[in-house]
Amino acid sequence: MMKGKKKFIAGTAAVAEAAMLANVDVISAYPIRPYTGLMVDLSKKVADGKLDAEFVHADSEHSQLGIVHGASASGARTMTGSAGVGVTYAFETYSPISGGRCPVQMVVADRTLDPPGDFGSEHSDVLCARDQGWIMGWAETPQEAFDNTLIYYRLGEDQRVSLPQFNCQDGYFVSHIPGEVVVPEKSQVAEFLPPYKLAKPLDPRKPYGHGPQIFSDQGPALQLQRAIVMNRAKEIIPEVVSDFNKVFGRKYDSYIENYNPNDADVCLFVNGAHSQTARYAIANLKAQGVNVALCRIRFVRPWATEEIAEVLSQYKAVGVVETNNSFGVAGQAGVFTPEVAATLYSLPENKRPMLMSFMAGLSGEVIRLNDFYFMAKKLVQAADRKKIEKPVYWIGFEEN
Amino acid sequence: MADSKTTSQVKEVTIWASGVIQDAEARDTANCIAAAASKEGKHVQAFDNYIDLPDRVNVPVRKYARISSEEIQEKYLYENEHPNMVVVVEPTLIKGFNILRGMLKGGMLVVNTGKEPEELLKFLPNKELLAAVATIDASKVAEALVDDFMDIEGAAAGVLGRGIGAALAGAVAKVSGYFGLESLKEVVQNTDAAEKGFNNVKIKIL
Amino acid sequence: MSLPNIPKEKQLPEGCIVDSPTTEQDHMTTGGWRVLRSVIDYGKCTKCKTCWISCPDAAIKVDENGDVNINLKYCKGCGICASVCPVGAIARIPELDFEDVSVYRELPF
Repeated sequence: MMKGKKKFIAGTAAVAEAAMLANVDVISAYPIRPYTGLMVDLSKKVADGKLDAEFVHADSEHSQLGIVHGASASGARTMTGSAGVGVTYAFETYSPISGGRCPVQMVVADRTLDPPGDFGSEHSDVLCARDQGWIMGWAETPQEAFDNTLIYYRLGEDQRVSLPQFNCQDGYFVSHIPGEVVVPEKSQVAEFLPPYKLAKPLDPRKPYGHGPQIFSDQGPALQLQRAIVMNRAKEIIPEVVSDFNKVFGRKYDSYIENYNPNDADVCLFVNGAHSQTARYAIANLKAQGVNVALCRIRFVRPWATEEIAEVLSQYKAVGVVETNNSFGVAGQAGVFTPEVAATLYSLPENKRPMLMSFMAGLSGEVIRLNDFYFMAKKLVQAADRKKIEKPVYWIGFEEN
Repeated sequence: MADSKTTSQVKEVTIWASGVIQDAEARDTANCIAAAASKEGKHVQAFDNYIDLPDRVNVPVRKYARISSEEIQEKYLYENEHPNMVVVVEPTLIKGFNILRGMLKGGMLVVNTGKEPEELLKFLPNKELLAAVATIDASKVAEALVDDFMDIEGAAAGVLGRGIGAALAGAVAKVSGYFGLESLKEVVQNTDAAEKGFNNVKIKIL
Repeated sequence: MSLPNIPKEKQLPEGCIVDSPTTEQDHMTTGGWRVLRSVIDYGKCTKCKTCWISCPDAAIKVDENGDVNINLKYCKGCGICASVCPVGAIARIPELDFEDVSVYRELPF
């Protein structure tokens, strides 16, 4: 099942390998740390003739997205990428691309937004665009970054969906630190990922119009249409993921991974790379008699409210680890707290766990094992006392 | 609930080099060390220092290799906090920078130079941390890479051990014993340089 | 709900707006990068100031006597001064041949 070559490569190189196997047609590039390695690697592959693609060097991130928008609308499988302030530079393009139903894939190795101008990883840059109608999710390891590339192409290009995707990974932690990646053979990839076929491609012989001006009374139906499509994407995810697991021999969950080896009744809700450290923390804590579980969200958009609520309902307390900022947000933590709160609110009151948030890993700071021990201690305390001590903790600034 | 037990079992190798000119060689050295130790069944990591990149000509850059017999639990670190072994590819760097920063007593130093180990001691204000100093003239046993100035920033490594990286990894094998010469020769292209690095390194026990 | 206090050692100025250096500062001394040190032979020097004007880092100063002095705290050893000197008064000598240390840093910057 897990056929293929084993390589020791970082997240950006893994995505480049996947792009090569997926036979991407148009790539638009503009450098920004920490995702630049992806474009450097792809440019080498194109120059050496290993990948037959148009490699266009754009003059900014906004132009990058414009290029792949046009290419995708003409029937090309496209890839672009960015990080940090580059993602926000291209902001204007996200809604038109999603509304125009062009399944562009944007690979983001996330980075803190300026200021403070450091290169460390923070999820805020892509989370800013969570309302724009794109599929969005984070990879935990270089292997998952590779796998997500193929899964997102299959999901986004599906004729029933046709939506663009943010293929995200933590800057430096996943994009620069090599890990083991099993690269499958071309035949396996062809079995999973069909070639890109667009229903109405731009063609001078049969012209179409994209994004015409409409009257406001036509608007609500168009918005509902996109909401229906995003919901349809959510329905299709289990089919795509189980197909992927079957072809490549992996064991991915559809929406959220529930890792509970020690039968804990409290859990940490984590997104992205820091889950790796959390797993070791869980194993070490068991020896101390403290049991905590890990719920790792796989798809941030579409957010599968009912399914996630069902997973979280088995716990007495949920600790959301926020590696992002949303200054002034409801709940005064980050972006995931109100989303998880709305999810938990859909449960009946007697099945609703307590909710608390931990601001950790901001600005690319490493979340150490000791930090996870602190979080687990607070969660277990809340479950024992049947009430939370306080709703938001800032890791690194709390007096122990 | 402190957890220093797991991190102290990790053997940390820090490599200092001159930016752009030796960046690829330093990365190659870290990759050769990690690949050779991995052949012997160890758990390894090999990565660049994130904030030293993007490098400029002659700016000091650091690369890291981490070796452990158990699974490495804290995989996401920005630098080696307590290096056991420091390799310096550009010898002048020992004069301007505290290359032994963070080293606990009993560490090792390997410098790429034709000089004798004793000549370097006068430039090390904290030499009492060292158990051994070694020198190897890597450019005598291999050609330095001059075709790979591209800043690959985390992208895939190509062929391992084409230039002086193999010789330096061989010297590290002899001085530290973290992996064997045979394992190293299995992973590098220039096995001759690896062997010469192993045999020709001059070690001074302190 | 109140947010935690920022401890003194972690505090930064508001908006991270910092003082800017005008001529020299100690946070980014680059003398440690130097592999070959440029040494001026004042017997040959004609005080033409070509080296002073050619230094890309402005690491050469002219003093009140008109003599040029290389600022070893910053000189990166690029060798442009040695190559433009019309009388060949500047030699480039390995830094490790000198016992004196002009810059010693804990971290690269």
